Amino acid sequence: MVRLLVATGDEDRDAFAKLYRLTAAKLFGICLRICEDRQAAEDVLQDVYATVWKRAGAFEVGRASPVTWLAAIARNRAIDWRRANAGRLPGPADAMEELPDDRVHVLDDMLADEADRRLHLCLDQLEDVHRGAIRQAFFGGLTYAELAARCGVPLGTVKSWIRRGLLRLRGCLDDGT
Amino acid sequence: MTAPDDPGVPDDTLAAELALGVLDGEERAAALRRMLADPAFAREVAEWRERLDALAATVPAVDPGAEVERRILAGVGTSATARPARLASLAAWRWATALSTAAAAALLGLLVLRPAEVVRLPAPPAPAPLVAVIAPEGGEPFSALFDRSVGEVRLTGAVAVPRGRDAELWAIGADGVPRALGLLASGNARRVEVRGAAVVAGTTLAISIEPVGGSPGPTPSGPVVATGKLVIG
Repeated sequence: MVRLLVATGDEDRDAFAKLYRLTAAKLFGICLRICEDRQAAEDVLQDVYATVWKRAGAFEVGRASPVTWLAAIARNRAIDWRRANAGRLPGPADAMEELPDDRVHVLDDMLADEADRRLHLCLDQLEDVHRGAIRQAFFGGLTYAELAARCGVPLGTVKSWIRRGLLRLRGCLDDGT
Repeated sequence: MTAPDDPGVPDDTLAAELALGVLDGEERAAALRRMLADPAFAREVAEWRERLDALAATVPAVDPGAEVERRILAGVGTSATARPARLASLAAWRWATALSTAAAAALLGLLVLRPAEVVRLPAPPAPAPLVAVIAPEGGEPFSALFDRSVGEVRLTGAVAVPRGRDAELWAIGADGVPRALGLLASGNARRVEVRGAAVVAGTTLAISIEPVGGSPGPTPSGPVVATGKLVIG
């Protein structure tokens, strides 16, 4: 996949098409998760791949995994859309329902590298509520205050969930290296 | 919103919070200032960003369907090559680039004289452009022009952008709030279409270094590496 991304950076359309077929479902999953609207997610996905086509030359081999790099673009673009369409966000009622089943899913073996697998393992070890809060902040682009309002809990509670979750996550990730 | 109720937040926690994007208001501003002033803290934030970036790939895959695939692959095939030259006289404007080694003050003097030539081409009298001298830290100053007739910012130079990052252009108005104008291409096309944001004389242009795709938040998330104030050209 690194090779395809580098070739895309050289404006190789065949490589881009192959890269698309390998990664589109993963990136579409991210767009859909963040936008919570299929039409919007399709538009954002198109925007994401236009960015990938233009910016693939900036990918740094050996620094981030290609999937991480692509996923970061998808997340940033989707969060941009969300912010621009803030009025369409679901209310607090939806927010908490999302927490319990918001579990980590198994990655396609082809896409997962060692670091990704490690992250999955470490996320699995977090308490459900800590993991849920981190994922909501990350995928929603939400601040502590917004998160507290969405979940209907005090600010201090949200802070403590996220801080404890983040520190435990790092402890676990560092143990693995 | 977030009251300063956490005087003793450890650095690593603060770095993680900034990277995750959960801070707001004064807490966020203080953490950003800290990032500019403290390289060790900035490194810690960058490490956290890398850890958290990997989270995005943990979402289950969903097939976007054949129609979306067709649209995206077709879109890139055609639009990537078509880059119409907008203004013939841009070459004349670019010529100013050659002079960008001159001191910022001298350059500003030059710009004040040149723009009349740049905007003479459209038939209806166009509003005078706004110009600014952008002085990157440790880099050569270059000029920025906001063409009010087409709503476009053009730059004659660029800032140094680390690999795997994007430079993003911001407009800071009288209220002091940065508004995103767009990403700066790394190649020759240094134009940003301005949509929605008010750009007037006195507006400060700023360039920040951001994750690929731009700041995840409404304001710069990375260091601001260059600024310049627009004046009527």
